Amino acid sequence: MIKYLPLIVRNVFRNKIRSLFTGASIAVSLFLVVTLYALLTHQDELAEASKVHNRVAVMHKAGLSGQLPIGHLDRVRSMPAVQVAAPMSWFGGNYREETVQFAQFGTDPQTIFKVYEELEIPPDQLAAWQKDRTGCIVGSVIARNKGWKIGDRIPLQGNIYPVDLELTVDGIYDGPSTVDREWLLFHFDYMDQALQEMRYPTAGNAGIVMLRTTTAEQVPQVMRAIEDAFASSDAPVKSLTEKQFAQSFTEMFGNVRGFIRYTSLAVVSALLCVAANTMAMSVRERTREIALLKAIGFSKPSVLTMFLCESVLIGLVGGVVGALGGKLLFSLVDLSTVAPGLGLFYIPWGTALWGLALASLIGLLSGLVPAWRAAQISVIDGLRKVV
Amino acid sequence: MVPLKYNLRSLRARKVGSLMTVLGVGMVVWASIFAFGLSAGLDKTLEIAAHPLDVLVLRKGATSEAVSGVSDAVARDVLALPGIATDGEGQPLASRELVVFGYLPRRGQTQPVNVTVRGVEPVARQLREGMRIVAGRDFRPGLREAVVSRAMSARFQGLGLDEEFAVQEGQFRVVGLFEAGGGAVESEVWTDRNVLAQTVNRTGSMSSLQLRAASAAAQEQLVNRVKADEQIDLNAVTEAQYYADQAAQSGLLKIVGGMIAFFLTIGAMFAVANTMYGAIASRAREIGTLRALGFGRGSILMAFLLESLVLCGLGAALGCLGALALQAATGGLRTGTMNPGTFTELAFSFDFGPRVLLKGALLAMAMGLLGGLMPALRAVRMKVVDALREA
Repeated sequence: MIKYLPLIVRNVFRNKIRSLFTGASIAVSLFLVVTLYALLTHQDELAEASKVHNRVAVMHKAGLSGQLPIGHLDRVRSMPAVQVAAPMSWFGGNYREETVQFAQFGTDPQTIFKVYEELEIPPDQLAAWQKDRTGCIVGSVIARNKGWKIGDRIPLQGNIYPVDLELTVDGIYDGPSTVDREWLLFHFDYMDQALQEMRYPTAGNAGIVMLRTTTAEQVPQVMRAIEDAFASSDAPVKSLTEKQFAQSFTEMFGNVRGFIRYTSLAVVSALLCVAANTMAMSVRERTREIALLKAIGFSKPSVLTMFLCESVLIGLVGGVVGALGGKLLFSLVDLSTVAPGLGLFYIPWGTALWGLALASLIGLLSGLVPAWRAAQISVIDGLRKVV
Repeated sequence: MVPLKYNLRSLRARKVGSLMTVLGVGMVVWASIFAFGLSAGLDKTLEIAAHPLDVLVLRKGATSEAVSGVSDAVARDVLALPGIATDGEGQPLASRELVVFGYLPRRGQTQPVNVTVRGVEPVARQLREGMRIVAGRDFRPGLREAVVSRAMSARFQGLGLDEEFAVQEGQFRVVGLFEAGGGAVESEVWTDRNVLAQTVNRTGSMSSLQLRAASAAAQEQLVNRVKADEQIDLNAVTEAQYYADQAAQSGLLKIVGGMIAFFLTIGAMFAVANTMYGAIASRAREIGTLRALGFGRGSILMAFLLESLVLCGLGAALGCLGALALQAATGGLRTGTMNPGTFTELAFSFDFGPRVLLKGALLAMAMGLLGGLMPALRAVRMKVVDALREA
């Protein structure tokens, strides 16, 4: 078949507009399908990648809305195999008039960068923050999007808690593109002291405790040990691996996976109709030519294969532009500037290649009937036919 | 004008090709309606949740009931304010409510999510007129009993009739199911306020105070009074505003829905253009003949644009019918997602109402017009002599 490749390619290019439009229609739709799937798969991939850090999240048994007493932290730290642990208390404050919140955590400045060992922070900035009770560290992405620099003041209005925070940026952390760089980290004590002073009922809430074990083998045993240790306390806990913790957020959105599947199915079926129609048109136009090919000795299978190759080629080109182009686009464009919290979004290789395979499959299936028809064309009728 | 019949018959002459295009457009319209219907359904649910005269009193700075707290003492001060409507016996239409999170897994899943559990007093029913028990009975005050919306009952483990669920350390029994004509109430579990307060150690305070104002003017005064009074030191919002703020939080869903519709429309436009190019290429002689007969360029352009619009119109009809069939087959497509304003489950139905269907149909018209324009222009530009000469 390889020797016919030039012929196949020329056939693709002979009606340029038609092939271009079919390819474009496949490309645009594949871009959409791949992007939708990547919304799910990139989270799975990131969660999988976080496994090497052996992190465990400890939260109240009643979920994130439960109160995890800060007293639990010391007990967690004293447990065997727990290397380091820090609280991460969601503040959920409002910044200026913005309606969309970003992640703000009250934490322990001494340990948080040991728990998240992959985050990079200049030692002098970290030291300055550790000494500054009202200071904060912000991620490089959010700092860029909001135009924050070291020394800037960030007022946060309490929403979950009736306290307002007046923070100063002491440093900016960075890290590989696989870590969330849209956090704001501040001293847990700064927030909690204010709450203790007013005797607020939910003062002393650690939110979650994030910890790290020394080896991966210790993770399951530490998780069980922690759950057992607090089972009969006032605040029983649940421990999740970092991966499970990340997935629990996707879970909240409900049947998203199902919707993406239905939408994609509709898109793919629409594409099949459209591409099959185009191939059928091009076979009809070439009836005489096909008869001629057969007259000079081309067999049925080789005519069939030639047309199938043509439609697969168009599908493949559409797939390359849509799926791989989409991957390239999202690696160049940073979504966090338009949709806060989507800074980590990217199209994983697996999803992009799956899209490419899907495009080829669409090409193949859409070509089946027209190619079979082409192979059946009788030499005599075909040659006689006036198109 | 070229008679429309010419175009309709042309479409019929190319049966399979036309049918494929109509199917493709139909599928795209259906998928767009699906995406629009999701976000419209969510908005509608939050919109009908609100009574125009109701006011919600919350702690200052709190944007949702679950994170708010109001002490009994301050609530009494609020109830003394003028402008609150009263019932037949002269009691103020004001409900002190406690909202806490339940943490339950959906049916068929293991990971629990947050569910709104609301503790109420009898007066709460007068503020939600549409609510009625449709199975079982109402909960009895003083007992760990609860009523659950029919929608939530079907979605969550432990919320079925006669099943039990836990709120922190307390076990509650579901004794009845209710409906409330859609709205956010249908995402809630209701129980007795005092029982709930004891279970979660929150006696002496509530999450929010819901008031019915006597009139629209009284409502405005009430809101301003609560906000301005330094003794009370609370925030008041109209219920409509409260839910509108929550709806604004689900922007990502709208962006994704809009993105789906946008890219699908572009993709389908190319497909329509292809079909029309094919139609015009094989009819060059006919077009030449029409021109020779004296039809002007304008009427040829119109004729082919109309043909493309008919093609897409049929597709739009197919897509809309598909959506309506889905709705009829499922008896209203129900689903649920996290309400980003409260971090709790919001159960709602897809909205395939006239506005959503119209949006889908308009997309199809856009496909027809833009997709048909380039091919139609080519038909117009053909020289009569060349067109007639073409094989």
